[in-house]
Amino acid sequence: MDAGHGTFMEASPYGIESKKLAMWLFIASDTVTFTALLFAYSYLRIGSPNWTPLFKFWPSLANGMVMTIVLLTSSLTMLGGVMAAKAGNKKSCLRWMGYTMLLGTIFAALHLREWFGMIHEGWRLFQNPLGGSVEVGAGFFCVTGLHLLHVISGVAALAVIALGFKRGWLTAGHVETTSLYWHFVDIVWMFVFPIVYLMNAQ
Amino acid sequence: MAPNHEPGMKLYVGIWIGLIAIMLVEVFLTYQHLAPRTLLACLLVLAFVEAGIGIAYFMHMKYENPNLFWSLVPITIFVLFMLDHIWPDAFRLARMSMR
Repeated sequence: MDAGHGTFMEASPYGIESKKLAMWLFIASDTVTFTALLFAYSYLRIGSPNWTPLFKFWPSLANGMVMTIVLLTSSLTMLGGVMAAKAGNKKSCLRWMGYTMLLGTIFAALHLREWFGMIHEGWRLFQNPLGGSVEVGAGFFCVTGLHLLHVISGVAALAVIALGFKRGWLTAGHVETTSLYWHFVDIVWMFVFPIVYLMNAQ
Repeated sequence: MAPNHEPGMKLYVGIWIGLIAIMLVEVFLTYQHLAPRTLLACLLVLAFVEAGIGIAYFMHMKYENPNLFWSLVPITIFVLFMLDHIWPDAFRLARMSMR
């Protein structure tokens, strides 16, 4: 009776902690969500004869390129945080996580600035100021909106994990598990940028 | 439980530079006046390369137990494949709907 639960538990066939496996399963399911949305967007685009390419290189595509670099850099800083957490360097880990949150916030701010600029030009979910298919705005706002929601959620999750790690009630394993989510958000953008932005370049 | 042979920051920085370079190639291709289908194919191939590198190195899949890869990736790809193949049914159902 003195033995803990661990005595009776089999080792994971995957060699990872259960929370990390749960995150991988969540990522697999979220991949399906994003793919369904991107498929829907692509079918709408192919099915609309009067689809209007809406992005000029300046400012939209240039802004998208900066956003891509910001998000890729945030993945790099997140890796720094994970390495520091595993090495037991709490101060360095928190600094790297702080950089990651800052870059995530910059990404969200750049995205929202673009959204507000488009809304100012007359773009709505079902309104196209260029006179073409109304689904252009719906597709753009839905795909980028879901991704933006993931980025904002990621920044909030990182803040909670950083606080827990600082106070000692969360471990390096939690930092690593959260980093998987952050990298996933980055990888999704690798598809959103070409499909939604580059395929709509004027 | 911890994976072995994890790479250092030097490799990560190299991958980061490589991913940015792929993004620049994508933008370059966009302005080469390719046919939309050809451009889409090129951009998707590059996006899958980026995603593969990201999953392997940034998400450490390369350094995990192979069981994890074989349990997750083929099934997810199968689901996405089926999703792509049954999606046109949405249009068929829309055409068949009562008006």
